[in-house]
Amino acid sequence: MRRITLTVNGHPEMADVPDGMTLLEFLRDRLVLTGAKEGCGIGECGACTVLVNGRAIASCLMLAVEADGCEVQTVEGETEDGKLSVLQQAFIDAGAVQCGFCTPGMIMSARGLLLQTLDPTDEEIVEAVAGNLCRCTGYEAIIAAIRSAADTLREGSGS
Amino acid sequence: MLGSFEYRDPRTIAEACRLLAGEDSACLLAGGTDLFIELRAGWQNPELLIDIKGIDALGELRTEEDGTLSIGAAVPLDAIARSPVASGPWVALREAALSIGTQQLRHRATLAGNLCNGSPAADTAPVLLTLGAYVMAASLETSRQIDLANFFTGVKRTALRNDEMICEVRIPPQPPGLRTAFLKQQRVRGHDLAVVNVAGALDPSSGDLRVAIGSCSPTPILLPSINAAGVSPTALSALAIESALDHVSPIDDVRASAGYRKAVLETLIDRLIARLVSPEGGA
Amino acid sequence: MTRPLKVVGQPIGRADAIDKVTGNARYVHDWSEPGMLHAALVLSPHAAARIVGIDSDAARRIPGVRAILTGEDLDVLLGLYMQDKRILARGVVRHQGEAVVAVAADNLDIARQACNEIEVTYDPIEPVLDPAVALRPDAPLVHPDLDSYEHMRGVFFPEPGTNIAHHQKIRKGDFDSAFASADLRLTLTFDNPPVQHVPMETHAAIGKAHPEGRAEIWTSSQSPYTVRHLLSACFGLSHGDVRVHVPYVGGGFGGKAGLGLEPLVYVLSRAATGRPVKLVATREQEFNTLPSRQGLHSTIELGASRDGKLTAFKATYHWDAGAYADYGVNIGRAAAYAGAGPYSIDNCWIDSQVIYTNKVFGTAFRGFGHLEVLWGVERAIDQMAHQLGMDPADFRRLNLLKDGDITITGEAFTSGHGDPTGCLDAVARAIDWATPSTPSENPDLVRGKGLAMLHKAPAMPTYTSCSTIIKLDEDGGADVLISGVDYGQGTYTVLRQIAAEELRIPIERVRITWECDTAFSPYDWQTVASRFAYMGGNAIIEAAADCLRQVRVVASKVFGVPVDRIVCANGQASVADAPEKRLSYAQLALGYTYENGNSIGGPVIGHGRFIAQGLTHLDPKTGQGRPAQYWTYGAHAVEIEVDTRTGELRVCKIASALDAGKVLNPKLVVGQVVGGVVQGLGSALWEGFRFDKQGRLLNPSFVDYKIPTAKDIPDRMEQIFLETPQPGGPYGARGVAEHPMISVPSAIGNALTDALGIEFHTLPLTPERILLAIRSHEEGTA
Repeated sequence: MRRITLTVNGHPEMADVPDGMTLLEFLRDRLVLTGAKEGCGIGECGACTVLVNGRAIASCLMLAVEADGCEVQTVEGETEDGKLSVLQQAFIDAGAVQCGFCTPGMIMSARGLLLQTLDPTDEEIVEAVAGNLCRCTGYEAIIAAIRSAADTLREGSGS
Repeated sequence: MLGSFEYRDPRTIAEACRLLAGEDSACLLAGGTDLFIELRAGWQNPELLIDIKGIDALGELRTEEDGTLSIGAAVPLDAIARSPVASGPWVALREAALSIGTQQLRHRATLAGNLCNGSPAADTAPVLLTLGAYVMAASLETSRQIDLANFFTGVKRTALRNDEMICEVRIPPQPPGLRTAFLKQQRVRGHDLAVVNVAGALDPSSGDLRVAIGSCSPTPILLPSINAAGVSPTALSALAIESALDHVSPIDDVRASAGYRKAVLETLIDRLIARLVSPEGGA
Repeated sequence: MTRPLKVVGQPIGRADAIDKVTGNARYVHDWSEPGMLHAALVLSPHAAARIVGIDSDAARRIPGVRAILTGEDLDVLLGLYMQDKRILARGVVRHQGEAVVAVAADNLDIARQACNEIEVTYDPIEPVLDPAVALRPDAPLVHPDLDSYEHMRGVFFPEPGTNIAHHQKIRKGDFDSAFASADLRLTLTFDNPPVQHVPMETHAAIGKAHPEGRAEIWTSSQSPYTVRHLLSACFGLSHGDVRVHVPYVGGGFGGKAGLGLEPLVYVLSRAATGRPVKLVATREQEFNTLPSRQGLHSTIELGASRDGKLTAFKATYHWDAGAYADYGVNIGRAAAYAGAGPYSIDNCWIDSQVIYTNKVFGTAFRGFGHLEVLWGVERAIDQMAHQLGMDPADFRRLNLLKDGDITITGEAFTSGHGDPTGCLDAVARAIDWATPSTPSENPDLVRGKGLAMLHKAPAMPTYTSCSTIIKLDEDGGADVLISGVDYGQGTYTVLRQIAAEELRIPIERVRITWECDTAFSPYDWQTVASRFAYMGGNAIIEAAADCLRQVRVVASKVFGVPVDRIVCANGQASVADAPEKRLSYAQLALGYTYENGNSIGGPVIGHGRFIAQGLTHLDPKTGQGRPAQYWTYGAHAVEIEVDTRTGELRVCKIASALDAGKVLNPKLVVGQVVGGVVQGLGSALWEGFRFDKQGRLLNPSFVDYKIPTAKDIPDRMEQIFLETPQPGGPYGARGVAEHPMISVPSAIGNALTDALGIEFHTLPLTPERILLAIRSHEEGTA
């Protein structure tokens, strides 16, 4: 057991967690942030993607205790004051959402990319979500959504 | 839960070594991208997990004055790929690092971890072998240097003792103008383990050519050096392929057949040589 | 329908997208019930074995373990079309990965720990792994008790004493003499491995056994009413005492149709004093324990005349059903009646046999056997064209079904069926079929073009039905209750559009209750077969008309005019020619109150339904009958590029055409096609189960079962929709959900012949398969 303190979506959190608990389990079971999903448990599918200190990681392959002192962002943090982010709206408008199970992970991978650059190349967009498996959409609309969000953010509107 | 282990995060190498010496079933944790999969599957059940990411000295990536590249054991692959040091003679290292897994995995996985996992398919191994890399290993009582050529002892087995940890991977200074390249054959364009991977380093002035091959033997294999001086690219390719086929022993497994591995190995070596000798190729 | 459409046909976005992009959408994975326990499984390591003993004493003693069940506790057989399955293996195991013991405990770690303490003793038996071996007279029987299994009589014909779960025959004309007298003859064999659906959300279910035998289930399922029906039949409960909830579902693709984990979680709850029990399949269990798509070995014989007419077609389809065929028998049936492709053939014999083996079992999968069958058919068609010296597109044009032709089940093809030739022409144009591929500058890369037809009808029982209830709200909006499931395909959005259109209100005022609950949502058969938009759409049209009739009746009384003089538009009921006399739906939704207080009418609730029309069983000897509510035709054309020194294949462009009848929502249907094409690409290039000699699955995870990633998609994808109205379809629409995946492998296989001059007969077309074929082709021609 270990006490961890961390920031999740801008909120300070403190909890006593078993050493063996994954960050994914902590987010889903303790904080009831069920956006991040377990799709495979071995870091291959990306459904559990969250940002830790601004970087997209597979939360099924990280311990909660490793997140002590870190800033974690999940899809639930994308919405501000009940308003969808530019990225979330872009996913909706581009038709990039079908069953939705991969969507939170996709959005966080995209957010991780947009934190690095607002002018990503096509290759950079694909690379950012290449670790997020989707069985429904065929990816084209997802790539278009991220491109559109980057364009909008570069033009200075919204977040 | 991934297990009922105790988690410790030492601040110094000495402390980590002490913890390692004190518990037979301890595991070292860097990126966790291989280890956690093993814990989840029940292939390992350690009593103690020692996280090395809190040790500052292990997080450094730097070029030393004499040109040695030093990569701390806790440096993630993503950091290597992005770093300006991963250019020039190290460009193949960036290519190999970028070929591993996904963005999410590369933000956590480390070079040292890739080596310690001991897989014959380790993508960084062929590059490091061609560059004459060595690792610095420490234990409570000892510290030693292990040449990478002696590091891999079998499938998922390395020369590291149970009480030893890698502190850094070091690449010695390379001849100026060295050309390096890395190629990997996968089953899909998305993330995949290597069916075959190859790395090459060519010193244009001495003509020294080194080729290393992964996924075709129980360990990554460094071929004997070839002197490329005055040899045409076609002939050089033929020499390298002949040497490769002599030194590797590919098997049939769920990923590929030995026949396919041999066929693709020829193609990859041919393309590797072409890249190394062409004016735009390599560094 | 002469009124111009306002909402149907528009690219309306999904309302559920907001829940999904915010993480607010809850799937069974995310669901919990008070007091809930967690379940884990012990799986069989053997493909075939007798279960000698199960020792769970140590496991029982672990604190927090609440129930342990084995097949010995559960003498129940279940299944959709054939009852050949147990909840847990009983007496024998029939595939590696089959669930043998289930544990429910306070948390998942305890449940798994308990599973590790359970010792099962097996007496392994020699497994049957190859359908060809399973067909031999001396083959061990996977189901020795086949003759005792309940099954849908008159539709499925298991052969006791064999491994044949079903044999579907088509006999039209006289194949033998037509083949013998044909100018050109071809005999070819083809192979498809089993593949998995790979929904991103694995199977998951929560079961609660209430007092007095009532059952409540939360499940990631495509068919809540089938779950209800089968649980009720299996446990002797009345239908009303089984309540099934389906919240958001993270993908299904057929794998979540029928019955899955629901019976198991119910019995675990029953054994655990009624506490809810949740079971979530790990990804490995999704591959190895939950069902897959059957493998197929095809033998196709074609005869044609020199002038290019197909005169004779014979196919033998051997389906590798795996250990259970409760759903698989229907794939064997459907693939037979579609099994000669969309062509006019006078002499057609098909034998489609569903064969048990000791491997992971098959179930419904998008395309329902048609991708597998058309891999062979469309490849054979191309090869016959080449033999004839004809352009493959021209050969198809000559033979595609046209007005007046008779299908292989004896149905008359009419233009209302759709326009297969139009689809072919559209994709041929889109890739400039007439012009050969431009050679690459890189001598290692070779390009080629190929095309293939597809067709499918909904494979469903003759009595398949759908129903819906629409309630008007006091603000003039409408709530639609329906229990088809939207697991990503977007049908709820389309149904919302139809409801808005028919009710004459803006779409923003229409809600579809997302969660299916059999206590409240009216009956729907299953959300499979590309039938939901068609049947649900028709049901909603009827329900909306019912609502408006009630509205008009009250309005007519208020205004003192005959009912047929009341017009509904823009959320209002008004008198024709006196539009100032009007009432909004809001004023009528709960009845109407006069100034003096007298009230008439009441809450407006409309209901609608649709039952399949005119379908018949197929004659057991000849397969003649009317199996199809409608056919959807389509085609793909591809241009590919092959690296001849690694075998890697890249799809430069794929053009897909479907005759949708009516595009109800262009944005959603494009999404369906792109997604389906990429899923088809997976089957074409990478996907397939690999088994070792003992029948163990070698690739039960994403490490070695590769599906397309964002890096693997074609460079360019184009979608073309024809709209030949479907008689009886809502606005003339027909289903298109499964179709985009069908024949993607066929088109690529045909393009490989164009590129390399090599005929491929086995899927998947991996780089290894392609490179080794190139090498041996070079050696052969050297």
